Amino acid sequence: MKNNFRQKLLLASIFVFLLSINSPLFSQEQVLKTIRGTLSDAEGALSGVNVIVKNTSRGVISDMEGKYSIAVKSTDSVVFSYIGYKTQTLGVGNRSVLNVIMIPDATALDQVVINAGYYKVLDAERTGSISSIDADEIENRPVSNPLAAMQGRVAGVHITPQTGLAGGGYEVQIRGQNSIAAGNDPLYIIDGIPYDSRSMGFANVGATTIPGGRISVLSLINTSDIESIEILKDADATAIYGSRGANGVILITTKKGVAGRTAVTLNTYTGVARVARTMDYMKTDQYLAMRRAGYLNDGFTELPVDAYDINGTWDPNRYTDWQKELIGGTAYINDLQGSVSGGSKRTSFLLSGNYHKETTVYPKDFEYEKISVLGNLSHRSDDERFQVNFSSNYASEANDLPGVDLSQFIRFLPPNAPALYDADGNINFENSTFANPLAELEGKYFTNRRNLIANTRLSYQLFSRLKLLANAGYTTTILEESRTNPHTKYDPAIGLTSSSSSIYTNDAKRESWIFEPQLNYEYLFKNSSIAVLLGASYQKQTDKIVSHYARGFASNSVIYNLAAANSLLVQRDRKEAYKYQAYFGRINYKLFERYIFNLTGRRDGSSRFGPGNRYANFWAIGGAWLFGEETGVKNALPFLSFGKLRVGYGVTGNDQIGDYQYLETYSTTGSIYDGLSGLEPSRIYNADFGWETNRKLNAALELGFIRNRINFTFEYFRNRSSNQLVGNPLPGTTGFSNVQSNLDAVVENSGIEVTLHTENFRGDNFRWETAINLSIPKNRLVAFPNLEGSTYANQYVIGEPLGIKKLYHLIGVNPETGIYEFEDYNGDGKISAPDDRQYTVSVMPEVYGGISNNLFYKNWELNFLFQFTKRQGYNYVLGSAAPGQMGNQPAFLTGEWQQPGDEAEMQQFTAGYNPEALIAFSQYMFSNASITDASFVRLRDASLSYTLPKKGTTGTACKIYLQGQNLLVFTKFKGGDPEQLTGFLPPLRKVTMGIQLSI
Amino acid sequence: MISITIYRSKIVMFFLLFVTIGCDEFTAVDFPEMELTGVAVFEDSATVDAAFASIYSKLRDDVLVTGKAHGINTLLGLYADECDYYGVPGENSDQFYRHVVLPSNWDIAALWNGAYNLIYAANSIIEGVTNSGKLSESEKERFLGEALFVRAYMHYYLVSLFGDIPYIKTTDYTVNSKVSRMPEGEVFALLIQDLQEAEVLLMSANPRIEKTRPAVIAVRALMARAYLYNEAYALAREYSTKVIENGGLDIGNSVAEVFNKSSTSTIWQLKPEQGSHTWEAFTFIFVSAPPPFVALTSNLIDSFEVGDARRENWIGEVSSGDDVYYYPNKYKQVGSNNTEYSILLRLAEQYLIRAEASAHLGDNTAAVRDLNVVRLRAGLAPTEATSRAELLEAIAIERRHELFTEQGHRWFDLKRTGMANIVLAPVKPGWRDTDVLLPLPEAELLLNKNLEPQNPGY
Repeated sequence: MKNNFRQKLLLASIFVFLLSINSPLFSQEQVLKTIRGTLSDAEGALSGVNVIVKNTSRGVISDMEGKYSIAVKSTDSVVFSYIGYKTQTLGVGNRSVLNVIMIPDATALDQVVINAGYYKVLDAERTGSISSIDADEIENRPVSNPLAAMQGRVAGVHITPQTGLAGGGYEVQIRGQNSIAAGNDPLYIIDGIPYDSRSMGFANVGATTIPGGRISVLSLINTSDIESIEILKDADATAIYGSRGANGVILITTKKGVAGRTAVTLNTYTGVARVARTMDYMKTDQYLAMRRAGYLNDGFTELPVDAYDINGTWDPNRYTDWQKELIGGTAYINDLQGSVSGGSKRTSFLLSGNYHKETTVYPKDFEYEKISVLGNLSHRSDDERFQVNFSSNYASEANDLPGVDLSQFIRFLPPNAPALYDADGNINFENSTFANPLAELEGKYFTNRRNLIANTRLSYQLFSRLKLLANAGYTTTILEESRTNPHTKYDPAIGLTSSSSSIYTNDAKRESWIFEPQLNYEYLFKNSSIAVLLGASYQKQTDKIVSHYARGFASNSVIYNLAAANSLLVQRDRKEAYKYQAYFGRINYKLFERYIFNLTGRRDGSSRFGPGNRYANFWAIGGAWLFGEETGVKNALPFLSFGKLRVGYGVTGNDQIGDYQYLETYSTTGSIYDGLSGLEPSRIYNADFGWETNRKLNAALELGFIRNRINFTFEYFRNRSSNQLVGNPLPGTTGFSNVQSNLDAVVENSGIEVTLHTENFRGDNFRWETAINLSIPKNRLVAFPNLEGSTYANQYVIGEPLGIKKLYHLIGVNPETGIYEFEDYNGDGKISAPDDRQYTVSVMPEVYGGISNNLFYKNWELNFLFQFTKRQGYNYVLGSAAPGQMGNQPAFLTGEWQQPGDEAEMQQFTAGYNPEALIAFSQYMFSNASITDASFVRLRDASLSYTLPKKGTTGTACKIYLQGQNLLVFTKFKGGDPEQLTGFLPPLRKVTMGIQLSI
Repeated sequence: MISITIYRSKIVMFFLLFVTIGCDEFTAVDFPEMELTGVAVFEDSATVDAAFASIYSKLRDDVLVTGKAHGINTLLGLYADECDYYGVPGENSDQFYRHVVLPSNWDIAALWNGAYNLIYAANSIIEGVTNSGKLSESEKERFLGEALFVRAYMHYYLVSLFGDIPYIKTTDYTVNSKVSRMPEGEVFALLIQDLQEAEVLLMSANPRIEKTRPAVIAVRALMARAYLYNEAYALAREYSTKVIENGGLDIGNSVAEVFNKSSTSTIWQLKPEQGSHTWEAFTFIFVSAPPPFVALTSNLIDSFEVGDARRENWIGEVSSGDDVYYYPNKYKQVGSNNTEYSILLRLAEQYLIRAEASAHLGDNTAAVRDLNVVRLRAGLAPTEATSRAELLEAIAIERRHELFTEQGHRWFDLKRTGMANIVLAPVKPGWRDTDVLLPLPEAELLLNKNLEPQNPGY
């Protein structure tokens, strides 16, 4: 250790020495004269401007005060260039002083600056694959989660909502599924602070309302506060995030204050939402006929006592559209946003607040409420050397929902099921014959979350070429959630009292701090320049989770008082620590402004691994060739305004597993037995597992035509994930369901991404832009040693995607027996799993993308985005009851087998007493019949706005707008919404109207 | 200028040092505060007891013999002819009632996975205790004996439900994930071996006053049952005799006392959560008709002899108009409860085991004597059966009336005596001969090919 320290000290000293000796060394060339000058922009002195003598290799950059001096001949011209500003070329002549005011040039494509996380890069000069979304593409959208606003906008990013409820989770995959079993979530960085997106929700509490109880942490970020979102995809862009970059990185940058006049904006919108797409279920006549046939087929001459729907217990003439009844309501959305920004030359600020509220489509009053505040303060010292930026983002969210998502009852409710309420207004159990879904609304699911993200960024320009930076951040998220089960949920016939009422609670707190010192160095050679970044990262995160189950209350009115419970069980009490440390660096070398090399590396350590496996190295090399700048190309292809080829290759990693998985431990169960609190083995442990590594290759061609009015990108990528970290599924005989380990399997994601941005028309009054993105991903399991002998044998096939399903293959209905028949793959005369589940089909997306159009006419603006996905998916069959059993079925189910000789597509109805038919149906559920084309084209987003003409140069600007989300769906998908998870609320259609004022 | 450069260099140096000195130990995290290492658990008898507490609370609340709706009291009551189903049609338990159990049935997976999870827990204790250097010899004996009993107890139910199954004796997942099924006979041999060992180890241990942990008498009671199931009648008689004669138990003279927590006939019982009802009472009792979940079959009700105290005392009824519905009322306390525990082994069964074994061994007098012990307590006249065949039939009926809705006794009796087909075919439209064994969980076969083939009929 001591030796190690000395080594580092030596290295550091050498580095410092090099830095301090090089500055006076500069061009010793014979000169004719020296010119001096000051470079500035509207806000003052501008440091770091490149000053180059045209057609020579001589150049300098301006210092802290914007000053420069350079040796020139009087016949020379001098070129002044700087990121984000127009390049100016001026002749020297007789002058000895040349002061230049640099003019910002944000509109030019080759001057757009992209945030790459630890550094910024000109869009034209970037070597990595980075997509960017601007504020105006996402703001004012009636969504509570920024991920919702990103859907369909970015090539290579596939986002699927898990439920139509506000606060619900999203599945986000950047360039496909890399990991068989570890997390596939990207790394989220908000204003430089890594943001753990793992839900702290507890499945016992929330899973019946929100799929898996996974509430999205990202909903705590107010969409309107976002300045830009960058998505880093390839190795060149993500290797600097090392072990957490494998699944891509999403950088979210919040808005900053702008110096100048104090500006106030107010924005409010209001609107409605409804379930967009539902399935048609059988009406009473069709349903009852099916049921009767089922009993007849099963050999009943007299209907059994529990056949309430057809034996006369329930009114055969009733009809209820349960979709309308349970999820057919209208949700209301209200949003109010206000901000103040401004500042002086050196100090600027922004203060922004937002209130957002959404109700639900359920029959009772439930709602989602969010309040957020963003504050930002920037300051620069008088000498411009020192800069500080502080931002703090606080959000509080309350979600009040039913204990169970009512969507799941719809398909099981007979259309003639009794009324929901009896004559007295009580929940009707119809003499214990009816499992009334509204009883579930007696139970409440409530979540309350508070989130604070604070960060400070300090920088100090030590020398003109060397800058010190430090980024320090603190994040805390607090979650309180509960779900009640009052006894009133149950049929009074069971005879329960409030002594059986219960509540699940979950209180979780996550705190994280990070410190990242960095050092930036830039140097200009004759024909080239170099930029070096060195940094370190220290992060510590602690999670504290306490979950309770309490049962038995004197009255339901004290159900939230755990102290009032007859019995109280601590189900979980966990404290987890996660520590993370890294060194990283980047060297960027630019030659002749045309050839760019980018080398990044990171050494990472994570506490999630055992002592021998904590550290690993990650790196990437990238290059870009701006061939459009080559004289030959310019002459030969005058219509080509931009041309770039870029290539990157590197290694990133994935550590998305739980903490402490490498330890053999016992943990408390929370159950008390005979006065003792139980201890159980926490897991089957494996002390020896390490990083999942992901090797990424990326190549892209970027072209711009007609002064960049047409921009085209073609990108090819191939990512290979190896050393797969898996919770290897285990059979029950091991006592557990999985064990954490590395698997020597390789998963490959390759694909093509195409983007096209065109300015179709540009006139004085009318402008029309179109942006298209298209992704064709391909996922393949490349290698899996001993797959046949592993527990994955019946899940995966080498050479096929991870998203395959192995299914029975439906042959048809046997005309004699009226029962489904399946292909007998192993020829043993019977149909059984796993040997006969050999029909494979992939449910991964095959093609997806979006087309957006922006039209501007005078003060009018129209935007709309069509999103499309081509894929196969599960249809209504999975998880449904065999037709003929009690429970509704889609109205299109007709043509069932009725008598021997019938050539039918559907097997005979069964009331649930025919084992052959039931077994065949259970196989049918897991056959190719449960998979259909789930492709769709969706009008995801549309908005129309009108800006009121301003009188004079100052005064109030006013914009009125109309917004729609998920307005239309075109699909052949049978049964509901193609993006819906069975049993959960489908995505909603939203329409809102708003007004924005700026003063 | 030079001085400033030096000054600045110092800043850089300081900065770099700060960055690079960051020790490699930064990523070392403390051991989780909420957990104990596997080794530490076995250094102290209190934490080993806590490990057992986890096993028994799971047995009580989740696994296999739990009194909850997914335990075998209910599932096998429905599967045999004890209970009728009134719950939501098509649910997992309804599949048992209709005899259309599918390999994908969640209750099947829960029975299987829950049992093997406890077997892992028992094996983990066996390995931990064996390697412990801190526990005393007498503590080790007690813990090993108890863990061996738990392991045998779980395997006993698995083999009775599923037929050929793997017998798991290690925590090594690399072995356990590739195991094959073992013939029923071998499974029984192994579980008897475990029980024999447990019997020796627990011989000198002091049983709990409330019998909330299995003691040597529970080991012997289970052995008596296992021998009977395997038609080893002499041994069944020997072990039931040990329980009856040397166990310090008394069958008592009132059926009303049997399910009291301080009943003298209890061999092993599970204590509910503090002040809470037994899950058996929670699941079975209902107060208005028609029943919300399950009720006893009229066939069972009608089969009781007039004057049987158990018909009066252990069965509750609710009427609705002309219809009367019955529920098992062995456990009576719903809501709060301080008087009842869930009994897993009790003396009456041992009398009936010995009676049956004696009848098979040709000792009809002894069989009659034992059968009458149970009958007399129920307020019934001595049996009129005399021949072996009559006696066996009378014992079977007595078992039905004594043990209904307790851990699937009725189903296992029908199955082991070959009567399942005769009794159930007429009353269960879905009955097939292959129903004597439940299917292995579908997921299990997908994960471990060595467990193939699936049981016949599925």
